[in-house]
Amino acid sequence: MSLLDEQVSVPRRTMTLFFLIDTSGSMEGNKIGAVNDAVANVLPMLDEISAENPDAEIKVAALEFSSGVNWLYSEPKLASDFVWQDVKAGGLTSLGAACVELSTKLSRSGYMQSASGSFAPAIILLSDGGPTDDYESGLSKLKSNNWFKAAIKIAIAIGDDADKDVLKQFSGNSEAVFTVHNIDALKQIIRVVAVTSSQIGSKSSTAGDTTKQDQVIEEVRDAVENIQGAEAATAVDSSSYDDDWD
Amino acid sequence: MDSLNFSCQGESHIAAGKVCQDYSYSKVYKNGNATAIVCDGHGGKRYFRSDIGAKIAAEVTERKVKTFIDEVGLSLLKNKPFTQHGTISEQITNQDFDKTSDIERAFRQLFGSIIYEWNAEVLAHATHNPISELEKEGLEERWIKEFEANINLEKVYGCTLIVYAYTPEFWLAFQIGDGKCFACDSSGNWSEPIPWDERCFLNKTTSICDSGAIDEFRYCYEGNGQSPIAVILGSDGIDDSFGSEENQANFYVQILKSIAKSGLDATLSEVETTLPQLSKIGSQDDMSIAMIYDSDKVKSTTSKMIKWQIGNVNRAITEESIKIEKANKIQQSLESVEHPTRQNMIDLQYANADEKRAIEARTKLQGRLDALLMELGDYGFTEDNSDLENDKGAKVG
Repeated sequence: MSLLDEQVSVPRRTMTLFFLIDTSGSMEGNKIGAVNDAVANVLPMLDEISAENPDAEIKVAALEFSSGVNWLYSEPKLASDFVWQDVKAGGLTSLGAACVELSTKLSRSGYMQSASGSFAPAIILLSDGGPTDDYESGLSKLKSNNWFKAAIKIAIAIGDDADKDVLKQFSGNSEAVFTVHNIDALKQIIRVVAVTSSQIGSKSSTAGDTTKQDQVIEEVRDAVENIQGAEAATAVDSSSYDDDWD
Repeated sequence: MDSLNFSCQGESHIAAGKVCQDYSYSKVYKNGNATAIVCDGHGGKRYFRSDIGAKIAAEVTERKVKTFIDEVGLSLLKNKPFTQHGTISEQITNQDFDKTSDIERAFRQLFGSIIYEWNAEVLAHATHNPISELEKEGLEERWIKEFEANINLEKVYGCTLIVYAYTPEFWLAFQIGDGKCFACDSSGNWSEPIPWDERCFLNKTTSICDSGAIDEFRYCYEGNGQSPIAVILGSDGIDDSFGSEENQANFYVQILKSIAKSGLDATLSEVETTLPQLSKIGSQDDMSIAMIYDSDKVKSTTSKMIKWQIGNVNRAITEESIKIEKANKIQQSLESVEHPTRQNMIDLQYANADEKRAIEARTKLQGRLDALLMELGDYGFTEDNSDLENDKGAKVG
């Protein structure tokens, strides 16, 4: 009898990647089209990362927020299974409600398993404007959530109208906010952020001191240098790009 | 009573060229008392001597617990019912902090003496072992300066601590930080007697090196003769490999069954082989276990442990069957849709995938169930045929 015979389960741990997508009216047209296209195209890449990773499997959850909030599916799906359904733009920007909803699901009674069986989640927020609801109380609730505290949090500001202060508050770090100014840059940054967060987030930590969020920021910052129309946070206040969403 | 302990270097530590930062200890004394300890040194660069801190913590704790038991344990804990105490902050929140209680005071004194002695030994070690050039590699300059000035030394040696101490009249267990303590009773059921501290979450843990460490200990005791038949302490490398408490206890059942069947030496050898494998396929972290057990009671409880496993497998089979039924309902409802929408197609795709996955899982579980039923048969449980049939009846097809 082996101590690890067929009676013993050593399950792979789970890393859940959350997309929080602003689907307010201002996203209508090319922006929302680019988001739909980019997320749908990155899913097979996440599946590959998951399949090649002995440490953890990657699950995906997506929350759209406009005048209300809506999860694309009622539970996180394996990256291999996730079928992207195009989201449509229209309405206001209820970021506060999205924060409250995310906080509810970041729990064992929501979308998360036992902490022992999980890696910290990765959360990618995409927005092109400012919140139209009471985001402060929603964000305050979310910030008290242990899963959120431990998560890799990256925000993508879509254009100069995005409220970068709010995105910085969400991610907890101005360097975790990346700005894009055109459709191609938006598609590329979604791919880079999703892939990098999944790769780093789903690995067992070595004994280093650098947080996974900092590792993601560093890699994305390097990648952003080669994306026309994308900027790391340090360049946000002195943008060398004009928005071009046509 | 018998004891077993083992620690091994984790797979990620091997890859990074780092030493094993866990330390485990177990001993059965001539008077029948026994102690098991697991310490897990912190992994960050700042904690560059945490492996030594873990060893010091175990050695200091062994001495202090022995003194506590010899001097006040019996008078304080004999005939006391099973009692749990969370951290001080939790007790204050729950309004059950009683600083006037003799037991509370004695435990706080014990924890204080461990922290004090650990700090003293850490200081002595640092004084006699100046920081080497090798150790300085990759360290921030301020940490080097702090070390050389004997500032925040405890951080360098930081670790967690879990302890179980048994005497024929009473037992006690306490902990600071992560890792888990599991206890098996004479019915073959498992529990975690030490209250959990919610501050230990993912890679965050409380520690003996924290400034308020004395308030972060949690503990339990029992003096009414109801001691567990086995208590197993494990570092978080073990927890993180199993994901759920049930999976982890299930692994411990395998250890106890091995003890019952093959004895201590053969089981220790199995543990020494298994934990490095577990680190490789599981958490990649250092692995430690330390356990105290009553071998006669473990032997006489083995069949109950197998029944506990059977109950869990049956429950899991039922859960998979429910998933299959749910998927089948969705499939049936969508089959009658004449012009399915894209959403219908996606829902059907998910239902098919869920059904396939659940059928595979259930088939695997049925194999496990059959093996466990055979194992139980080896213990002569033919008189429980009706129960066994009920167990098999859970295999809904």
